[in-house]
Amino acid sequence: MDSLKEDLKKQIIEQLNLEDLSVEDIADDALLFNDQGLGLDSIDALELIVLLEKYHGIQLTNPEEGKEAFKSIDTMAAYIRKRNAA
Amino acid sequence: MKVITAYCNLRADECLVNGEVIARRDSSSEDSWFKQLYRQQELVYPKFYKMDALSQAGYLASELIKRANPGFPEAYADDEIAMVFANASSSAVTDRRFIQSYEHGGSPSPSLFVYTLPNIVLGEIAILNKWYGENLFAVLPKFTPGFYLDYNQILLASGSRALLGGWLEVTADSTDVFLFLVEEQESGMEFSSENLLHLSQAGSVAA
Repeated sequence: MDSLKEDLKKQIIEQLNLEDLSVEDIADDALLFNDQGLGLDSIDALELIVLLEKYHGIQLTNPEEGKEAFKSIDTMAAYIRKRNAA
Repeated sequence: MKVITAYCNLRADECLVNGEVIARRDSSSEDSWFKQLYRQQELVYPKFYKMDALSQAGYLASELIKRANPGFPEAYADDEIAMVFANASSSAVTDRRFIQSYEHGGSPSPSLFVYTLPNIVLGEIAILNKWYGENLFAVLPKFTPGFYLDYNQILLASGSRALLGGWLEVTADSTDVFLFLVEEQESGMEFSSENLLHLSQAGSVAA
């Protein structure tokens, strides 16, 4: 398993207090803000912004970027790699 | 007459619907009891994992009552189903976790903060079912059947036709959840203090 994606899942479980979930419960391509996915909402988006800064040193200031980056674990990992490469 | 058409008792180790045990906690499982029940009953609502224990309890019991009573809630308009819940400990468990998040975790957690009111469980159920009826969450010293009967009179006057009532006491050490559905029917178990008290103890040693 991609270690960045696995780390992200662990960090999301920790940051969003989803202790009933395990890494295996979160699919890489599951839509984070969809009721068929993780069912996150705007409050959780705040937590994801905090998570990016806390664990990855990335400040997300452009809401449009967040919209794209927070679609799924796949897109979050791609966003982190892109920012780290810049 | 107003009758109790379905009820659910959720305790630390077992879950009963209409007095019948439908699930028992697997003490060897690493999963929480509520997660065990969620999976065992094949419920699908990912938001469940985000909820605090109080909301999880309300969600589980309300879903099991719906399942036990086919035809409900379709028989009602979306503003005709009222909810009246109560407990003794409010949202104390989550309140403490929230305090913990900023005293020891570095920053206050928004995802915990949103559950630091007990009536959030009503919102969770209302959002899921798209119910727009009256709702109230009271903090009372103990389960008080008369409270639900008295408040139901007010609800009837404001157009409610069905009542989902509940006592949801979920603490770090104990789980005592009793949800019941009250509807107008020609016969059945009367919505009375005696019956509520009796059903609230269904299956327990004290019953």
